[in-house]
Amino acid sequence: MSMELKMAWRNIWRNPRRTGLTISAVAFASLILVFMLSFQFGCYETMINTSVKISTGHLQVQAKGYLEDKKMRQVIRDPDQVATRLDTVKGIDAYTFRANGFALVSSDQRTYGVVVTGIDPLGEAHVSTIQSLVRTGRYLTANDAYAALIGAPLAKNLKVDINDEVTLLGQGRDGSIAAAVLTIKGIFDSGMDAMDRNVIMMDLQGFQDIFSMGKTVHEIIIIADALGDVSRVQQDIRDQLSGKREDTDLAVLDWMDILPGLLQGIQMDLVSGIIMYIILIIVVAFSIFNTFLMAIFERTREFGVMMAIGTRPSRMATLVMIESVCMTLVGIVAGIIIGSLLTLYFQQHGIYIAGTEDILKQYGIPDRLYPRLSLISASAGPLVVFLITFVSSVFPALKIRKLNPVEAMNHV
Amino acid sequence: MRTVVLILVIFFFAPVVQARMTAETIVKDAFDYWRGEASVSTTIMTIHRPDWERSMTIEAWTRGDADSLFVITHPAKDKGNGTLKISNGMWMYNPKVNRVIKLPPSMMSQGWQGSDFSNNDLAKTDSLIKDYVHTLADTTLHQGKTVYGITSMPKMDAPVIWGMIKLKIREDHILLSETFFDEDLQPVKTMTAWDLKMTGDKLFPMKWKMQKSDAADEYTQLVYEKIEFKNHLNNRIFTRTHLKNPGF
Amino acid sequence: MLVRLAWRNIWRNPRRTLVILLAVIIGVWSMIFLGAILRGMEAEMLRNAMSNLTGSLQIHHRAYRDDPVVENSMADRDKLDRVLGISLGQGAHWTRRVRVMAVASNARHSGGVTLVGIEPEKEARISFIGSAMTAGRYLESGDKNQILVGRAFLATFNTKIGHKLILMSQDIHKEMASKAFRIVGVFSAESEAVEKQFVFVPLSQAAGMLKMGESISEISILLPDLDMTGTQETHMALKLTAAIADDTYCVETWQQLLPMMKAYLEMSGFFLYVWYGVVFVAMGFGIVNTTLMAIFERMREFGLMKALGMRPLQVVKGVVAEAFFLLVLGISVGNILGFLSVAAIARNGIDLSVLAAGAQMWGIPRKLYPEIWVQDLVVAGLVVLVLGVLVSVYPAVKAARFTPTQAMMKN
Repeated sequence: MSMELKMAWRNIWRNPRRTGLTISAVAFASLILVFMLSFQFGCYETMINTSVKISTGHLQVQAKGYLEDKKMRQVIRDPDQVATRLDTVKGIDAYTFRANGFALVSSDQRTYGVVVTGIDPLGEAHVSTIQSLVRTGRYLTANDAYAALIGAPLAKNLKVDINDEVTLLGQGRDGSIAAAVLTIKGIFDSGMDAMDRNVIMMDLQGFQDIFSMGKTVHEIIIIADALGDVSRVQQDIRDQLSGKREDTDLAVLDWMDILPGLLQGIQMDLVSGIIMYIILIIVVAFSIFNTFLMAIFERTREFGVMMAIGTRPSRMATLVMIESVCMTLVGIVAGIIIGSLLTLYFQQHGIYIAGTEDILKQYGIPDRLYPRLSLISASAGPLVVFLITFVSSVFPALKIRKLNPVEAMNHV
Repeated sequence: MRTVVLILVIFFFAPVVQARMTAETIVKDAFDYWRGEASVSTTIMTIHRPDWERSMTIEAWTRGDADSLFVITHPAKDKGNGTLKISNGMWMYNPKVNRVIKLPPSMMSQGWQGSDFSNNDLAKTDSLIKDYVHTLADTTLHQGKTVYGITSMPKMDAPVIWGMIKLKIREDHILLSETFFDEDLQPVKTMTAWDLKMTGDKLFPMKWKMQKSDAADEYTQLVYEKIEFKNHLNNRIFTRTHLKNPGF
Repeated sequence: MLVRLAWRNIWRNPRRTLVILLAVIIGVWSMIFLGAILRGMEAEMLRNAMSNLTGSLQIHHRAYRDDPVVENSMADRDKLDRVLGISLGQGAHWTRRVRVMAVASNARHSGGVTLVGIEPEKEARISFIGSAMTAGRYLESGDKNQILVGRAFLATFNTKIGHKLILMSQDIHKEMASKAFRIVGVFSAESEAVEKQFVFVPLSQAAGMLKMGESISEISILLPDLDMTGTQETHMALKLTAAIADDTYCVETWQQLLPMMKAYLEMSGFFLYVWYGVVFVAMGFGIVNTTLMAIFERMREFGLMKALGMRPLQVVKGVVAEAFFLLVLGISVGNILGFLSVAAIARNGIDLSVLAAGAQMWGIPRKLYPEIWVQDLVVAGLVVLVLGVLVSVYPAVKAARFTPTQAMMKN
């Protein structure tokens, strides 16, 4: 075998130009696939992280049933106790409390129904991006019990600006009237229409006073150290919370539970991406198939001679196959290395695609996209390229078996 | 022959028409009796839920079919909260906010003060008269008094959500119970009244309860501390100014 | 002379030629096929978005888009009728609507909806609702209290056809208005959100309930042709604005009404051409490689020609001309294949409903019909031809550099 390997290697470099071009084709396909897959994965991660950071968190602890019913009385009774448990779980980057209620918000001229979210300004800043989304005015501080952050379109609809007052009227947890006058301190613009039009944020303690919540909250928003850790952290939190009687009515949800559309959207995009890659790989496979086939034609004489001196056709076919595999491997390795370097460069510097700002904004993504190299993105594409080129080298190799030594030797 | 048919027709249909007329009158009388020309009352409302219960004292003024004002006087936390209803419009006032807010449609179907009475129930209390066709279903005897069982079906295009309402009205115009059904004629909630007492020259149930049909531990109870029926109330009472400043 | 020589040379070794041709054909076919799928998706998305009550153009009261309440409605119905009658060309459709936020309730459920008052016959030509009924029937001109609701709405409200629905909203005097409707038909839409959001009633009934008189909230116009660039809409908007000559009315095109759609279309078009480039490079390696090998095979021939006094430039021209013919042939066959394969799928469309929820979120249609654009054909053809000719210059130059001795030495 090692003899064949050596022979194959030598044969490859007998025509360095052809070999170079073939390897380049394989390398190019691998490179593109490594880069594109990393780019897609990077975008997904950004999308998930942004959605997660604007609203949902990687994980949430809620009362069971709150996700479906969103009833005010489905609360976490003792959030501080849950918090002490969370502190023992590894892999949690940050967490914060939130409470939500429906209310009517009115200015002098208009009234709209909104979701009021009570946030802990300090904790929230570690978990969500809301602080950076405040475009006018300022974010909340610790003493802002009756201050509010409001979405830009909602502010426009209410015809209010910074330091204007809005009236809040809703129902507290116990059914009592929840009413307050809030001063608008900041106007945010997340780009997500549903949030910008329907949400008002205020200080959690103020919220708890107004909505008769006591010390209770509705959600504990958790950010894991990395997206990949989420399911492990989820299990750890479940383990921590289970077995404690008072916590059996709590649910630990991940972002896929909270935003099912996002996951399916990603799967959808991945599928359409894969279709494009398959087409690319087919084109590359044909290029390579061509080259292999031509090489066989070119070497017909040589094979004829080898057969004449007693080499079995199957041995020659093996030799040709080894040659193709060697070339493909070199190409793939080169593709992976260059593709990874390219990906790493853009992973550092980001990619700016002109004209995409509006779309990205809708998902709350800043105008630069960052690919993300991973073991899967670096290997999946090249692996498929390898398999396809291997298959496309089988046919030319089989041709050798059909050669007639005499005809072959006369071939020019 | 023709006369026979005519007689038969009269014989069969007259009672139906008459029953409807009677039922209509019974309901109208009961309703008028319940509200009076005008009334001033103090009520304790208790909202019961599986995990909590809450009580408040309400001062109420009603006039005719359409106008009402409710103001909470106790507990201190809710004191001064009020709801004014004039014909089809409804306003809320909250002293903490110190602003009168007109209720938009989206709030109309929410429970009033978190109770099982919706804003709509309050704003449309006269819809029972306007929007339904009443028929006398049965007559029973209870504690020596006749009790009319009345089935009220909504009129063709009436803007009401109920598929049917069943009423029990005593011969002396006292509404004993009212059950609300959905369009599949499944009960949704039931209001019952008991503890009849004389107030002034009128016998009136002092306790009312609105009970959800599918949740035994969710109900709202109203207990009248006092109720006074009047011939008229000043227009000034049913204004937004008065809602804001009811004088206590 | 050059042309004929090149053509003859191509067919001297038909096997080799076929192999190169195959590479070009596959490349071109993939470009056309991918382009057709993408364009089909774009067109379907745009059509869906338009049929989702947008249309090609809309006319509103100036303040309506920011503040969609009944007060911001258009009163001068006659004038709008007149203007639209004159300005819109053949084949264009338009309809009036009342559109307002409302609360729908029955005995057990209550929730926010968008109440849309429509003119049933005219609406059916413009938006999805005319052909979206899954049960019951569509609205008819004589209808009074009939209402159409979405399939998902029916499920959430736990109700059925024939049952009543009460709608409440603020009328033009800011008073509470309510009216009972009876569900007469159930519609399905591309997304559940739409099925839950919209309920449809006759225009006159919505206007009556809200005391709007002859006023309407919006006019939606559908032009006969789908223009993905929005040019015809922009022209029509200018024409209508000029004809209405009243700045309380505001005419907007789908590009203004759906800015996301506009951005998406621009981006995906750009992306398609980038992908053409990528596919070409993959193909280009094959072309260069095979041509190069062909050149080496024919080394003797080139040497001979040089010995006979052929100038290097002529050799280059000859080889490039061969490549040109091969490319043109490949592109043609690739186009034919592309057309055939697209036609084959276009008959039944591609079903994407497996990923329904994701498709909803991304606004991608559940069924896809590929569409071939002349523009894409031209771009694909030009990319392959121009770049193909360019890369064939390298082997051509190689061929021109063979010296007669070098060539004769071979073998």
